[in-house]
Parts: sequence; structure tokens; C-alpha cells
Amino acid sequence: MSRYRDVVRADIRRCVGEHEASTRRVLATVWEQMGLQAVLVYRLGRWLKDVRWQPLLWPLLPAGWLLYALGLVIVRYGYGIRLALSADIGPGFWVGHFGGIEVVNCRLGEHCSVGQHTRVGSTEDAEGPEVGDGVWIGAHARITGHIRIGSGSTVAPGARVTRDLPERALVVGDPGRVVFRGYDNSQILPRA
Amino acid sequence: MRWPGSDAFLRRAVVWLCSTGLLVLALQRISHRYIERRALKGWTAETLLLRLVIALGRRPIAIVTKCDLAGDITIGHGVYLSDRGFLILRPERIGSGTLIHERVTIGVRAGDPAKPVIGDNVWIGPDCVIYGNVTVGNGATILPGSVVSMNVPARAVVAGNPAIIVRRQFDNAELRRTLNSVIDPKRLAST
Repeated sequence: MSRYRDVVRADIRRCVGEHEASTRRVLATVWEQMGLQAVLVYRLGRWLKDVRWQPLLWPLLPAGWLLYALGLVIVRYGYGIRLALSADIGPGFWVGHFGGIEVVNCRLGEHCSVGQHTRVGSTEDAEGPEVGDGVWIGAHARITGHIRIGSGSTVAPGARVTRDLPERALVVGDPGRVVFRGYDNSQILPRA
Repeated sequence: MRWPGSDAFLRRAVVWLCSTGLLVLALQRISHRYIERRALKGWTAETLLLRLVIALGRRPIAIVTKCDLAGDITIGHGVYLSDRGFLILRPERIGSGTLIHERVTIGVRAGDPAKPVIGDNVWIGPDCVIYGNVTVGNGATILPGSVVSMNVPARAVVAGNPAIIVRRQFDNAELRRTLNSVIDPKRLAST
């Protein structure tokens, strides 16, 4: 329970940008940012999945799943952001814009970012990509296959990644080529 | 949606009511006017009304069309946006007579505030991404699936990911006309 609270706090901090933001500011950001709403719905779903092993919290489950279903309809069909529960996403996840985002069957580290129309993993592969910490995934990028992406890598907009990437690499194009090693993406990661 | 060639009232009405691209464009023009008026005159009855329309219409239109257009883009006349949506557009300017297909992103490079500029009569195919401090020249053609992060000269054709120039001095008037005079030729001729 407390673990999930910290995770959600990290997600919100990523969007709000302050450690001690006022409740009003946080609520305004949640209302404004559709990506943050999607992440919160995903976290709720993951929490409900975990609660299955704690019989004391079972009375909460029906209301929780109902809320999750409602949120899922808005987020998946309204905004077009699909964060499947099969994906394992670390704290501090940031979704930019909305529309056509699909994150399934994969493992993402801490402080990752995805842009609009990105596809990470696919429903056909049982084992998807394993993405490290602090990876920036630009708009329209596509990462498929059972591959490993090093921490601090940057996937440029429109890149297609189907092979392993080293740490701190900048990958561009289709098929994705590593054009730069040792690229520092801390400037472009929003408030990581 | 295609603008009907003849003056059939019913067909025109259908376009006005059902074209989501037109809806998004209308909301963008309202936001643009609101930003201009607000900076010029502050709060008046007109700006209040425009603000109300934006506040009520923005989220439903974003959900229906999956489009997000910034309010501060200067958009010329006769611009066509696809009805299939998924457009995230944040350029400095879109010239008149430009065609933008579905699933297109135009925006800044991460960590760099310089916005792209799209010229007049540009044809942008589906699944394109244009980002960074770039200028797309007048009459350029960007083929489907291109990822453009460098300047495109006027009347050039670019394709690929990353994009390269595949032809120069190409006239895309025929290509733009295939959408059956979305651009009113009379209005274009007068400018």
C-alpha cells in the first residue's frame, strides 16, 4: 500500500515538478494532463491486482474494479492511451500528449517518458522489451521484440527499435541506428 | 472530408456537421482569436464568450477527434486537416492551402523551444513527424511516414526516416487537388 503511494507520488511529481505542491495544484495538473490520468488508472489497476493476496482488503475490490473500468473506458477509448496491466512500469512514468499510445507486455524502469503514438511491446509477443531507467521514448517510436534497452537511452521521434541498445545511446531512424553513444538526456527528461 | 464541388446545400451541411477536421480547425481559430483579443483588449464580452466556448469545447473535441492543436499557431486559409484525427500540431505557422493527413505530429525538439514553420501549399502525408527548428518551404511534399528534422526547400519532395530529399522542383498541385477542391480555387486565386 505505502509502496504504491510513493509510486503515485513520483508520477505526480514528474508532471507537477515540485516536491511539496499544493493539493489544488495537483488536482489542476491531473485534470489538465491526460497522460497523468492514464498513469493513475494504470496504477489503480496494478494495486487491485496486488490486493488479491490480501483478504482483509477484499471488500474494497468491487468498487475498485468498477472505478478502474470507468477510468479505462475514458483513458483507452477517449484519449487513446493504452497502458496494459501486463506492462511493468516503474515509478515516475510520464506520458506526453495522447492518442495511439500502447504499452503492453514490457518492463519499464524508473523515470521513463513516452510521447504520443508510441508503441512499446506488442500483444503478440509474450516477452516484450526490457527498458532501463530514465529512457526517453519520442513520439511515433516503436519498440518491439524481446530486447534490452540500456538506462539513460534516448529513442528519437519516429525511430523503430528491434535490437538491443547500450546505455546512454541515441537511436534514430527506421531501422534504428545508434548515432551517438554517451548522450545525456537529463536535459530533455521533464523533471526526472 | 471532401468539400462538395457543387452548391448542393445538403452535402455542404453534412460536411459542416460531420467533418471532425473542420471542427478542430474551428476550435483552433476560436482559441487563436481569443489569445489575440485577450492580449489586445483584456477581458471584454467577446473574450469572455470565446473563453467559455473553449472551456466547454476543448476536452470533448479532443476526445472525439484525438487532435490537439495549440492556440497560438497562425493558420492560413484553405487548410485541410484529416478527419481521421490523431494530430498533435504545435508549429509556429501553417501556410494557406496546406493539407495535413492523419497521425501527424508537428512540434518542438525536446528541450529546445524553437518551433517549426510550415509554408503554403504543403502536402503532408499520414504518419509524418516534423520536429525541431525547421522550415518547410512553400509547395513542398512530405511523403507518408517521413520523419523530418531538417529544412525542406520549396517545391521539394522528401521521404524516409530520417527524411531525405528525393526530388526537387515537384509541382504538388495535382496531388492536393485529388482531395477534390478542399481548397476553394477562387479564394486561392485571389490571394
